Amino acid sequence: MKSTARRRLPNRGRQLAIACTLLLLGAGMLALRADATEAAAGLRTVDGDVQALKKELVDLNRDLFRLEEELLYPASTQVAVFLSVNVGTFFALDSVQLKVDGKEVANYLYTEREVEALHRGGVQKLYLGNLKAGEHELVAVFTGKGPHDRDYRRGTTVKFEKAVGAKYVELRITDRDAALQPEFAVRQWD
Amino acid sequence: MSTSFLRRRWSRVVVTACASLYGFAAVAASQPPSDLPPPSKIRDLDYGDVLFHFFQDDYFDALVRLEVAQQLGRVPDHQSEAALLAGGLYLSLGMHQEATRRFERLLAGPVPRSVADRALFYLARIQYQRGYLDEAGRSLARIQGALPGELESERRLLSANVLMARGDYAAAAAALEGWDEAGGWANYARFNLGVALVRSGESPRGRQLLETVGTMDARSEERLALRDRANLALGFALLQERQPDAAAVALSRVRLDGPFTNRALLGLGWAEADAARPQRALVPWLELRERPVVDAAVQESLLAVPFAYAKLASNGQAAEQYRHAVSAYAAEARRLDESITAIRGGGFLDAVLEATPGGADGKDSVSWLWELQRAPDAPHTRYLYQLLASHEFQEGLKNYRDLRIMQGNLTRWSGSLEAFDEMVAARERLGEVRGARKAEFMAATDVEALQQRRDDVEVRAARIFAERDVTGLATPAESEHWQALGQLATRVEALPAGAQRDALEERIRLLRGSLQWQLDAAYKLRSSRLRAELSAVDRALAETRQRLGQIEQASDFAPRNNEEFARRVDELADRMARLQPRVDAAAAAQERLLASIAVRELEAQKARLASYATQAQFALAALYDGAAAGGAR
Repeated sequence: MKSTARRRLPNRGRQLAIACTLLLLGAGMLALRADATEAAAGLRTVDGDVQALKKELVDLNRDLFRLEEELLYPASTQVAVFLSVNVGTFFALDSVQLKVDGKEVANYLYTEREVEALHRGGVQKLYLGNLKAGEHELVAVFTGKGPHDRDYRRGTTVKFEKAVGAKYVELRITDRDAALQPEFAVRQWD
Repeated sequence: MSTSFLRRRWSRVVVTACASLYGFAAVAASQPPSDLPPPSKIRDLDYGDVLFHFFQDDYFDALVRLEVAQQLGRVPDHQSEAALLAGGLYLSLGMHQEATRRFERLLAGPVPRSVADRALFYLARIQYQRGYLDEAGRSLARIQGALPGELESERRLLSANVLMARGDYAAAAAALEGWDEAGGWANYARFNLGVALVRSGESPRGRQLLETVGTMDARSEERLALRDRANLALGFALLQERQPDAAAVALSRVRLDGPFTNRALLGLGWAEADAARPQRALVPWLELRERPVVDAAVQESLLAVPFAYAKLASNGQAAEQYRHAVSAYAAEARRLDESITAIRGGGFLDAVLEATPGGADGKDSVSWLWELQRAPDAPHTRYLYQLLASHEFQEGLKNYRDLRIMQGNLTRWSGSLEAFDEMVAARERLGEVRGARKAEFMAATDVEALQQRRDDVEVRAARIFAERDVTGLATPAESEHWQALGQLATRVEALPAGAQRDALEERIRLLRGSLQWQLDAAYKLRSSRLRAELSAVDRALAETRQRLGQIEQASDFAPRNNEEFARRVDELADRMARLQPRVDAAAAAQERLLASIAVRELEAQKARLASYATQAQFALAALYDGAAAGGAR
């Protein structure tokens, strides 16, 4: 009888091995049953609904975003300050402080992810606010770490004229103009 | 290649590996378009703002900002790229229908070749994922130039995958000939083709490809995992073909601490058993048996270990291990029952999302699935990792998470919208106050009277200039003196003639002459000043008229503007109110469906355990029979 048990076990082992092989090579697909097909069809239907809902949500967010901007920052008084980075060597931006007419309006600490996004070409909308028409003064200071772990702190002062339309000011951290050291370059957009 | 990129890619590969453990390495079938290259120079700041969010994988925010920028015409210098990015963002947010529309619309218009090629690639990827293989092939065929960066490698991989999916393995193999690049994409294609060939019966060629991938140089986690998968697939293919020694070699190459270790250990044991080396088979199986029973390979090892002992004629140990297996299966079946009850009780998916750090906040859309494999050992989440092997479950889970994020988004905006409503009302009240003040101010301001006074001055000045009337520009004191001298002259004239009168007349003449000389000397300067002052008055009057016009216009505009804002707030609140219950209903439907899939999957696992338990009991009975028969004899 011992031999009977032994005869049966190898067959069982072979079955297991084959089952394993089939499982690993994709035969899990064969196990699809009718209820699974129904569930998959149900998921597809829900997926279609979810896609439609998501699109509606994107449209709704777009319209809410516009309303918010137009209500809170009308073009006649809107001033936006953007920050971009264009440095050849890696510069780990740490913080930017922004004052408009002597009042601090932004003091931003950067995450590693944000710094990477800036280096890849992203432009941060650092400040969005309202100013009346006329001349204004903007003071910006950035801090960070450059090559060889060197700490940098640089600032710039810009006078700009706010007219009737929205005013964009771009602060660009660049190393093109000053012996490969990061500096601010300012560009005004109307 | 940055570390974070590698990390992202690795996590993607792991996710897909978990999801399709039994199938292709689906690396090309996933991905958000973070590979879209940025424009070399940002010419529209709003587009840069979109990219700032996009590069942080914050796709929803990026898409909303892009939609706003496009609608307001703020990306005039990046129109084609913006349209391409919009399609890619819709795709990455799981909206392939809208993504397809966007790409097709982009391709229908005049568009730079490089942008068209990228749009065709993404379109082909969607078509491939949706199973439209002919369309995918046609889209790929329309690509004219090399795609930038890693996209070109992805394109080649996608082309090979499309050919494989259509069963054209020879063409797929030809496409892979001589393809070797640093990114490692070719190895994914080789792996996929190897598996496909083994499946289709062309095993030698398939095994050759798997051998290439299984012995490749690998240092990154991503490549190590791919190498493990290739060795696993190769090992089981060889096992199926009764080549246990070769199978053992391939399976031994799988790392001992990777996601495929359990299956490799199981296979290695079977290879040794098949080569009639049951003692050596016990080494991996005993190692496997100590691992958590939730894994299918571990469950199988519980049967495999006593099988090996029986082969070694160690029936006592075999019987003990079969008993251990039966009790382990029973315990696991109870745990499955607990989980099934918990899942049927509701709240299943929220427990899943809560189990994932950062899983429910909408950020880091790639890595959160990867985190799910570390879900806690609780009834709701215990079998999650196994459930994620099902593509449909994974997609459904993503949708559920998106719906929960949508609910949060709507709640947040709902608060903002109330604030907007109050703001519009406050503006309305302020407008009324300002309107009253304005009316008062306008009533008190008679600009026409000022204009008349200025015109009168101009008429007088014109006469003075025409007649060169120097006295017309005299100071008040000078005028007084001039008049006083005139009166004195009249009084002197009335005096009796004589020397005294003559002397007085002479003095008056001298004084008048002196004053006239002074007035004459000052005339030029004074006339010039008068002209300048008239001009200044003109400017001041013009400015006054402009300001009055602005005040008039602003107060006319404010009510209309406010009404418009109020209308928009109402309209958006209405849309939000209609969307909210639909999102809730979809989330509930999604949860019901996923719970049913999970229960179905767990029931199947239970059935499998029951089958294993039966086999163990039969084997145990056979051993007892054998022992009894031996004893009787």
